[in-house]
Amino acid sequence: MNRFAFYPGCVSKGSCPELYESVEQVMDLLDIEVEELTDVGCSGAGVLTTEVSDPINARTLAKAEQMGLALMTICSTCQGVIGAAALRLQDPEYRAFINKEYLAAEGLEYKGTTEVKHFLWVLVEDVGLDELKALVRRPLEGMGFSPFYGCYLRRPADVVGRRERRTYIEKITEVLGGTVVNISGKGKCCGFPSLTINEPNALAMTAKHTGEAKDNGADAMVTPCPLCHLELDGEQTQAAAAARRTIEMPILHLPQMVGLALGLDPKGLGLGRHFVSTAKIVAQLEPVEAAVSAT
Amino acid sequence: MELTLNVRRGGTRRSADDSHQAYHVDVEPETSVFEALVKVREEQDGTLAFRGNCGVGFCGDCTMLVNGRQEVVCLMPVGKAQKDDEIKIDPIPYAPTVKDVMYDAKRFIWDKVNSFSPGVVFNGVEQVTEEELSPVRRAMRCTMCGICDQGCTVIDVNLDFKGPAALNKVFRYVFDPRDGRAKERVVEAGETNGVWDCVHCWEASDHCPFDIDPTHRIMELRDRSVRLGVKSGTGNRQAARHYNAFERSVEHHGWLDERNVAIQSYGGLIRGGLKMMPTGLAALRRGKANLLPHRKRPGASAIKALFARYREVTRTER
Repeated sequence: MNRFAFYPGCVSKGSCPELYESVEQVMDLLDIEVEELTDVGCSGAGVLTTEVSDPINARTLAKAEQMGLALMTICSTCQGVIGAAALRLQDPEYRAFINKEYLAAEGLEYKGTTEVKHFLWVLVEDVGLDELKALVRRPLEGMGFSPFYGCYLRRPADVVGRRERRTYIEKITEVLGGTVVNISGKGKCCGFPSLTINEPNALAMTAKHTGEAKDNGADAMVTPCPLCHLELDGEQTQAAAAARRTIEMPILHLPQMVGLALGLDPKGLGLGRHFVSTAKIVAQLEPVEAAVSAT
Repeated sequence: MELTLNVRRGGTRRSADDSHQAYHVDVEPETSVFEALVKVREEQDGTLAFRGNCGVGFCGDCTMLVNGRQEVVCLMPVGKAQKDDEIKIDPIPYAPTVKDVMYDAKRFIWDKVNSFSPGVVFNGVEQVTEEELSPVRRAMRCTMCGICDQGCTVIDVNLDFKGPAALNKVFRYVFDPRDGRAKERVVEAGETNGVWDCVHCWEASDHCPFDIDPTHRIMELRDRSVRLGVKSGTGNRQAARHYNAFERSVEHHGWLDERNVAIQSYGGLIRGGLKMMPTGLAALRRGKANLLPHRKRPGASAIKALFARYREVTRTER
C-alpha cells in the first residue's frame, strides 16, 4: 500500500474532469491510497510571482508534512512549481522567513521534509513496473503512443531529480504492451503558457508536436500534464487550421492509457470528453474477458 | 590526428540537402574546431566564410552546428567533436545565413539587444556589496553565443522572440543596484515577443554553457516586474490582463477559475466571451465545463490572507 497526500490541482477539478475520474479509478486498482488536500491553493502555475506562490506552496507542503505523507501531483506544472518551491524552501533562512511572515499566522510551520512526486514517478518508483505489468488485463498491442511530458517533468534538472525520470512514459507504454512512437518535441513546450498571450506561437507549437506524432505514425499521444492536454487536445483543431493541415491526433491523459491497459471502461475513463475524437483508439481495443470494475 | 571537416557551402538559401565540402586537415586532438577552420581558410580555401573572433570563448561569435549540435567552436576540441574522424559543420538555424556557415549576427542577436535601453543609468548608489552584485556578475558571463536558442521552444516557432540572451541582458541592468531605470526597462522587456512570451520551459537553462541559468533569470525578471507593478508592455495589455485575472481568481477563490481567466485575458466579458464561445460550447457538450458559478475552496480565506500579507511584505518597493 502506497499512501500520499493528494494534490489534484485546479485543472483536474475544472476543465479536465476526466483526468480526476481516471486517476481515481487507476489508483484503486494499483492500491494507491490518497488523502486529498482540499483546503490548499493553486500552485501559481509559473504565472504568479514566486513572492506569493512560494508562501501558498509552503502552506501546501506544511499540510502534507503534518500528515506525514509525500505529496502526489497529477499535473506536470503543479509538480514543477511546487517542486521548485520545495527546493527553495530547503534553504533554512528562506524557510524561516516564509514561516515567520506567512505561515505562523495560521499556526503552521514547514520543516522542509515533504517530498513532491508526480503520479508518473509514483507509478515507476512506488508501484513498480513489474507490479504494473502483472495487472495488465488488456495489453495495448499494435497501438503506437507518442510521449509528451510537459516541460516541468523534464527540467530544471535539480527540481526533476533522477535523470531516468525523463524516460518513464516510454517505459510504462512498453510495460502496458504499447509501442513507443518517438517525437523530437516530447520534452518541449505544448504552447499552453502562451495561449492567451501570444496565440500564434502557442498554436504553432501545438501543430508541430501533434503533426510530428501523426507523421511518425502514432495512434495517440499520452501526457501526464492536463495543461498540455488542454492545449494539444483543445487547441489542436485551430492549430491544424493555422498550419493548413489535418492532424486529428487523440491525446490521452497518462492514467487513461494505464486504465485502458488495466481493463477499465473507456467511457468511464472519460475518453468521450475529449475535443479530438478518441473513437479510433477505442475501436482498436481488445475486449476484456470480464469487465473490471474499479469500484 | 587526420580529420575531415565537412563544411556546409553556399549562400543565403538553406535547404535540407545543402552541399558540404570536405577539407582534410592534420591537427592535434586538442586543437579547437575553430582553429581547424582557420587553418583551412589560411592554407586551403580563402573563400570559406565563418564567424569567429577571440578564439578563447569570450566573444561568443563562433557559434555553429557541430554534428547537428550547437557549439561555441573555439571551446570544442576536434578530438571531442569528431565522429569516425569526421566533423560535420553547419550554420545555426535561428538566424539568416550569409554564406557557408556565417550567420547574420545583426538579426541573430544585436537587433534584439538594441531594442532595449543600453547602459546603467546611475541612480546615486555609489557603494554596492559583492553579494548585491553577484547575480549581475553571473548574468554578465553571457557571451551572446545563442546556444540557449537551440533549446528555446518559442524561438523555434518565432524568430522574432527576443530570446534568453537578450532578456538576460535586461536582467543585468534591472538587477544592478546602481541603475535607476528598472521600471522603464521592464516595460520595454514586457512588449510583444518579450519577457511575457517566454513559456518557462527551462530549455535555455539546460543549454547555457556558461551556467547563467537564463530561464531563472527571465522568471526573476518577471517577478521583479510584478513587484514594480508592471505586468506587460504598453502594446500587449493581454499579458497584464491574464496575470491580473489569474491573480484575482486564486486570491478570491483559492484556486483557478479557468473560464473566467480565459474570458478576462481575451478582453473581458463581451470580447473574451465571444472569442471563447465556440470552445465553451464544445466543452459544455463534452461535460468538460459547466455553467455553475466558480466555488471557493475550503482554504480560500487563508489563501486570501497570504495575498494580503504578500502585499504588505513587498509594499516598500512598489
